[in-house]
Amino acid sequence: MKDSTLQVTHVTKRFGTGETEVVAVCDVSLSVAAGEVVLIMGPSGSGKSTLLSMLGALLKPTEGEIRLREEVLSTLSESRLPTVRLHQFGFIFQDFNLLSALTVLENVALVAELAGAKRGEAREKARAQLTALGLGQRLDFLPEKLSGGEKQRVAIARALINEPALILADEPTANLDSKIGHEIMRLLRHIAKEQNRSVIIVSHDARIKDIADRVLWLEDGRFKDMVAMATDPVCGMAVEKEMAVVAEWNGRTFYFCSRGCRDEFFEDPHTFTDGDDV
Amino acid sequence: MVRLAYRNLFQSKVRLAISVGGVALALMLILALDAIMTGSEERLTAYIDNSGADVWVAQSGVRNLHMVASWIPASVTNEVKDVPGVESATPIMYLTAPVDTKAEQSLAYVIGLPEDAAMGKPWRVVEGRAVPKPGEAVIDRSVAERSGIKLGDKVKILGQILEVTGVAEGTSTLTNSVAFISMKDFERVRGGGKVVSFVLVKVGPGQPPEAVAKRIEGEVGGVTAQRAQAFAEQERRLVNDMAGDLLAIMNLAGFLTGLAVVALTVYTATLARRSEYGVLKALGASNGRLYGVVLVQALYSVVLGFAVGLAFTLALSAAMPALDANLPMQVGVASLLKVGGVSLVIACLAAVLPVRQIAGLDPATVFRG
Repeated sequence: MKDSTLQVTHVTKRFGTGETEVVAVCDVSLSVAAGEVVLIMGPSGSGKSTLLSMLGALLKPTEGEIRLREEVLSTLSESRLPTVRLHQFGFIFQDFNLLSALTVLENVALVAELAGAKRGEAREKARAQLTALGLGQRLDFLPEKLSGGEKQRVAIARALINEPALILADEPTANLDSKIGHEIMRLLRHIAKEQNRSVIIVSHDARIKDIADRVLWLEDGRFKDMVAMATDPVCGMAVEKEMAVVAEWNGRTFYFCSRGCRDEFFEDPHTFTDGDDV
Repeated sequence: MVRLAYRNLFQSKVRLAISVGGVALALMLILALDAIMTGSEERLTAYIDNSGADVWVAQSGVRNLHMVASWIPASVTNEVKDVPGVESATPIMYLTAPVDTKAEQSLAYVIGLPEDAAMGKPWRVVEGRAVPKPGEAVIDRSVAERSGIKLGDKVKILGQILEVTGVAEGTSTLTNSVAFISMKDFERVRGGGKVVSFVLVKVGPGQPPEAVAKRIEGEVGGVTAQRAQAFAEQERRLVNDMAGDLLAIMNLAGFLTGLAVVALTVYTATLARRSEYGVLKALGASNGRLYGVVLVQALYSVVLGFAVGLAFTLALSAAMPALDANLPMQVGVASLLKVGGVSLVIACLAAVLPVRQIAGLDPATVFRG
């Protein structure tokens, strides 16, 4: 793809050797265009975290090539990778991962300073970024004083501060309620389109499929065709309908990731069904 | 990153207080010991420094006062007076002996003074007279106060009951004081021929003491003559050598305590923020920058601890006279530089373990919950 931001070619990641060898990601190829939002879904243990770590230059593939714009990440030396991560990637995490001792403004400005901006300049950029994301009144707050949605918006501001080519988001809605989660996802999509940045999201949350340009299914370390999916009403995980634990209640069919979730559901079904469509 | 180190450290105020307090106490141990040694050194040579002599003449080979016996013929005094460059000479007698006040026995340098002594007298007399007559004694104020001795009371020195007719100040050290009696009483106790312990020499105007001392050694047989400063320096060196091992052990104890406290604090602070360091690594912070954060945290702890420890030591030094403690303390520049250096070493060593922890941190863990 000519204008692709990210080009992944036949990437494999193995851990261990011999009998203990585990192939976490196997011969994966992927191309992500500028401004495109790609959602990668899959069951637990499918290799999503390993793939995300490799895409984010946190882990080197055993085989294959990862190219970000013109730079081949998979061949870069360890000492070059931090600089590449700092300038080319924006990271958004499930647990927000803000530094608890720093204020909102400092959390964002710090990343700009790490990239070489002077303190005043970094603070100005951070202030502008946070204000644009509706956090102008929260600049001097510590993260513990923020709601989950606000924390994730700070994380987005931090991810954007060095104007990265690619934003990687790991379960960005996992610790948010569905309404706020959807808002955050719409915000990410808006940023991708408005600023022409590529976004790759790894998530179990099937409810955010609608914001993605493309949804990929990763299973056993390989991309597979999308299968019929449902959301476990108890834990919110995306589950394959064919593989899920199925149960009927009140004339409706429910899909669970495990018997534990099914049993928890039947202890008080109303808690998990009020206002929900399955 | 300096701000991050500062915030990380100050966010947990209890941990910071424990750390700073621990370092302060450890460094205070070193500072206070040094201050006591410096103060004691000054007191130790106080008699030599305040004797008024430019040159000390002693028995051949005797180069200090502490734990020595020096006996030279009394005729040496007149021989010394005849040496060119000598303005005046005062003989004194000297022994280390206890001052018995009934309430206590305290060790003293007992000095026998001639009635017309121009040098070697107590230099700050707070009560009574400076030069004792036969049957009289001048003792140190701290000894007098501890024993409740007043002018007119009796003390026993060198086996003689003497009346206290003078109380002097600044004549006590950590281990002993200086007591003055008349030369006649001293001679009676000692018996034997006419001898003195030292001859104190005042040189003439414009005469270099060093040259006069050499001249005395050349012209008077069987004596060692030294400048007063050199004599005092020998005294200091001897006592330092005697206390050196103890001082080294206490300094090491202070150093290790400080190191343990700072290392533990910085280590636990790093451990508590392990995941945050992982996030910073993932975002692109280099190991070097993260090591810097840890080192700055250690430096903050140590600098604060040093400041608090120094404040405590200065307060203690100031409080000593009010407490009537016979423990002179003096914080010297050399001691500050030494403890400052020790603090820096503590900070650097304390950062080693946390730095190793950060070095081994895998940034990819941020995507593994």
